[in-house]
Amino acid sequence: MMDLLHNEDNQNGKEITIKIENLVKRFGNLEVLKGINLEVKKNEAIVVIGPSGGGKSTLLRCINRLEEYQDGHIYLESIDVEKLDVNTLRARIGMVFQLFNLFPHMTVLKNLTLAPIKVKKIPENEAIEKAKNLLTQVGLVDKMDAYPEQLSGGQKQRVAIARALMMDPEVMLFDEPTSALDPELVGEVLDTMKKLAESGMTMIVVTHEMGFARDVADRIVFINNGIVEEEGKPEEVLKNPQKPRTKEFLRRIL
Amino acid sequence: MDALMELFKNFPFLLLGAWETLKLTAFSVGIGVILGTFIGMGRLSKIKLISYPCTIYVEFLRGTPLLVQISLIYFGLPQLGIQLAPYPAAIVALGLNSGAYIAEIVRAGIQSIPKGQYEASRSLGLTHWQTMRYIILPQAFRNILPALGNEFITLTKDSSLASVIGVSELMRSGQFVISRTFQTFSIYFGIAFIYFLMTFVISRIVRYIERRMATA
Repeated sequence: MMDLLHNEDNQNGKEITIKIENLVKRFGNLEVLKGINLEVKKNEAIVVIGPSGGGKSTLLRCINRLEEYQDGHIYLESIDVEKLDVNTLRARIGMVFQLFNLFPHMTVLKNLTLAPIKVKKIPENEAIEKAKNLLTQVGLVDKMDAYPEQLSGGQKQRVAIARALMMDPEVMLFDEPTSALDPELVGEVLDTMKKLAESGMTMIVVTHEMGFARDVADRIVFINNGIVEEEGKPEEVLKNPQKPRTKEFLRRIL
Repeated sequence: MDALMELFKNFPFLLLGAWETLKLTAFSVGIGVILGTFIGMGRLSKIKLISYPCTIYVEFLRGTPLLVQISLIYFGLPQLGIQLAPYPAAIVALGLNSGAYIAEIVRAGIQSIPKGQYEASRSLGLTHWQTMRYIILPQAFRNILPALGNEFITLTKDSSLASVIGVSELMRSGQFVISRTFQTFSIYFGIAFIYFLMTFVISRIVRYIERRMATA
């Protein structure tokens, strides 16, 4: 049965990592997501753009079930996420937040090693090795004994990315990762994300950084008013948007 | 002069009572902190079957006098077939009582931690309990330490009520000395002074821990 599903999902020889079907999310009477359909292929970097309040963040938060949704389905590797243990699901999906959310009472190193040790039961020395490795990759291994408050915003966000990567996630979700940063610190975080995309990580990025969308995204998804209004390759969507709402949004933001 | 002499002569005896007061307080604080942590978390539960009883517990124990609670446990329970000796009865009453106050402190402490901390922890796959234990409570504890210190001091003083059921703590020891010497002023003053010393030391210790945690 699962093989069959996999075959169905195969498009251009690429496996579908995440499939979202008719997703509906309401906060009380307010319908934030009104039937989202989206497929994310393995190794694909998707950038989600759209006006504030359009449901972009809510969509990300539904994927790892930080928000419960009312209707529709989300599949991770063909399995309905509601059928997975929620903690197992979250361990397989990394998330980076706008406000970093590093644990302020722990050193950078402990921020990274806590979840692998407690959730995946990885031996401590192994976790530390891995953490040093990832911190080297994001250029912060010299900060491993520092506390979050001693870091700049850009450094904090790079630590947060490394922390999420410690769990070897199959997908990484970025919820406006540079929106809380001083302009001069945005670049270092985007560079880290770009490297990650180039390494083949499957990513869904909510951002207002159009330069990043143009250079890094395999596909841009424009979400407005709770639905996917338009999607396509960056050059198509950014240079030649089809829908009036996309045109209007891009005119205002570019 | 007689008054001072009697105080000096009986001071070692009073100190023994003070030692009992400290032990009584320590046990009660232990019960109060454990109980308060769980009830404080329970009050924030989305499951009403958990949050409602916790709320009722807190409201009832905060809303009734400690002296009545002690009497109920020591004099009242035997009628239901549960007979406690004075010392355990006092520990139970003080522990249950401080548990209610500490629950409120813990609840406020948990609520003072930004929601993003909980979400970040859960997004890494940690369970609700792991998140509480490693992320939320350690940070909450740091924030509520001054309030907890206050509660320890209150409890030290409130433990004097255990004298009414015959626990030979500081207050009762003092009353015993007075019944022999009739030196009411000097002995009560001595008792007050010892209580003050104890609470002063506790507040210093709490402040020391606060400073150490602030730099950590």
